[in-house]
Amino acid sequence: MSESILELERVRLQYGPVVAVDDVTVAVGRGEFVTLLGPSGSGKTSTLRLVGGFEHPTGGVIRIAGRPVNGLPANRRDTATIFQSGALFPHKTVAENIAYGLRMRRVPAAEIARRVAEMLEIVALPGFEHRYPAEMSGGQRQRVALARSLVVRPSLLLFDEPLSALDLALKLQLRAEIKRLHAELGFSAVFVTHDQGEALSLSDRVAVMQKGRIEQIDRPDTLYNRPASEFVYTFMGESNRLDVTVGGGAIRDLQGHLLPLTLEDGLAEGAWRLYLRPSRLHLSEHEPVRSNALRCTVSMVEFLGDHFRYHLACHGLRLMCDVSAKLGLSEGSDVIASWDGADMRAYR
Amino acid sequence: MTDARRRRTGEALGFWLLLAPSLLLLVLVFARTVAGVVRMSFNGWTPPSFYVEDVVLDHYVRLATDPLIREAAFNTVVLAFQAALTSVVLAYVMTLIVWLRPKRFRLTVIGLMLCPLLASEISIIFGWWLVLPRNGLLSYMLVGSGLVSEKINLLYTEFAAFLGLVYAILPYSFFILLSVMDRQDRLLIEASADLGASPLSTFREVVLPLTWRGVVLAFSQALIWAFGIYATPSALGPDTLWTMGQRIQEEMIGRANWPLASAIAVAMIAAIALLLVVMRTVEPKERTA
Repeated sequence: MSESILELERVRLQYGPVVAVDDVTVAVGRGEFVTLLGPSGSGKTSTLRLVGGFEHPTGGVIRIAGRPVNGLPANRRDTATIFQSGALFPHKTVAENIAYGLRMRRVPAAEIARRVAEMLEIVALPGFEHRYPAEMSGGQRQRVALARSLVVRPSLLLFDEPLSALDLALKLQLRAEIKRLHAELGFSAVFVTHDQGEALSLSDRVAVMQKGRIEQIDRPDTLYNRPASEFVYTFMGESNRLDVTVGGGAIRDLQGHLLPLTLEDGLAEGAWRLYLRPSRLHLSEHEPVRSNALRCTVSMVEFLGDHFRYHLACHGLRLMCDVSAKLGLSEGSDVIASWDGADMRAYR
Repeated sequence: MTDARRRRTGEALGFWLLLAPSLLLLVLVFARTVAGVVRMSFNGWTPPSFYVEDVVLDHYVRLATDPLIREAAFNTVVLAFQAALTSVVLAYVMTLIVWLRPKRFRLTVIGLMLCPLLASEISIIFGWWLVLPRNGLLSYMLVGSGLVSEKINLLYTEFAAFLGLVYAILPYSFFILLSVMDRQDRLLIEASADLGASPLSTFREVVLPLTWRGVVLAFSQALIWAFGIYATPSALGPDTLWTMGQRIQEEMIGRANWPLASAIAVAMIAAIALLLVVMRTVEPKERTA
């Protein structure tokens, strides 16, 4: 038990009839990086705010370093938050921003100066001491926010979608930086995002949230390859969806066309939704290269930079297929799409 | 002429054309009048005429030496400072509440703050006449609540003049402060608490510095209003309380000394102009993230 820096036990947050956080139980180990992943309104930010002390639970217990902190205000919790906007103090310089938490903790001035300088090195911003936040770029401001939280050496760092407001290149750069800092400094962190790429790349474990509940919490590869629910599967990445009915040992689409599909486990009779990632499909012109195959027509080709996306039609079914090299197929060409049965997931 | 230069000239012309009507009005109605008052202040005075065309400094000399005028100036400045300070403190607390509390408070308080601006100064004075005397509303409420044992009269006291002034200028302080406070990010308060600051430290370190500009602006505006309001202190205050406004009225109408009245007015305009210049220099720069 003492190995956990943060424990949430059946934590609940309710505003009148609205349940924002619904009996969430989770533990974060010392030095662990846990991400709360979910769409907006899934309760991930509310959960983070409960841990930070900005909201107070209507039920359950929150423990930080083994100590219950229910009702304890934010300024008396040993957590530090990195906000989406950075929330830097606009009237204070970079150095004053970073020193703020230390000054509030009455750290001697000499040590403050030393630790601020050290932090500026760590976030690669030496020489920026006397700048004001308005004189910096979004990425630089977010580094200062990171430094301001790291410098107080909190038991737990809380990230509230810190990369969401940045453009793609900067987002990837800062994401790598956070990963490096976590490896170097070994802090414990709860990271909130709606970006599954961020979640997968940064985390030791990811908790997928929906409607105030944790749907699944697992290591990133487990989550991606063995999603526990349809929601987790569809949220972890783009997918093709085939609506089918199973009856008399045959799988048919909704118009009744027979689909020659075989799954690893047989399916019980009834309506099913089959899912398949676009990258798992293989295209060939004459012979199928995998066990499950459908004869399709190319309806559209999209160029997406590092790959091509083929949109295929097969009777009433629509499929997307990603391939890295352009094939000699144009719109209207006939093609065979094939895939392994193991790459398909069935939900009903 | 290059395109860029032509465009700049066009923009400048458009700017002045758009400004022209209000500028013209300002010159005709305001500047011309003030110029007339300045000219009048240098005229001579031989009763029973209101003034004699001349260029003399007599009235400015009187301004500096007449103990009655000095007393009025002292009263006006003290009253204006007290009222401005009180209104800014009250307005600050109210804007803080409006800023931090849920939306529904906001409309209520803004509605209440608009009330004094919807009635004329004279009708508000009539209102005070119902509230402040011995048999007025306030006296009844105080006796009824047991706070005082005997009916009290507050009308025609310095306190009444102060109260009337505060009431009259409070809305200006409030709206100026609200406009400044509304531009601040409330998340900064959470960030401050998150870093270990107590609510008091957060106020001192974050809220006050970020809104200090509003405090300075609101105070200077309130001071100017309090300085210039004439009817309220004269209708609610005691007969012994002379303000500059009353002094001007007395010289103008009571003694028919137009040049002296004008000299007092010029002195007040100069004082306000000086105040604005001083406030401009102490006004902190705004830094936005």
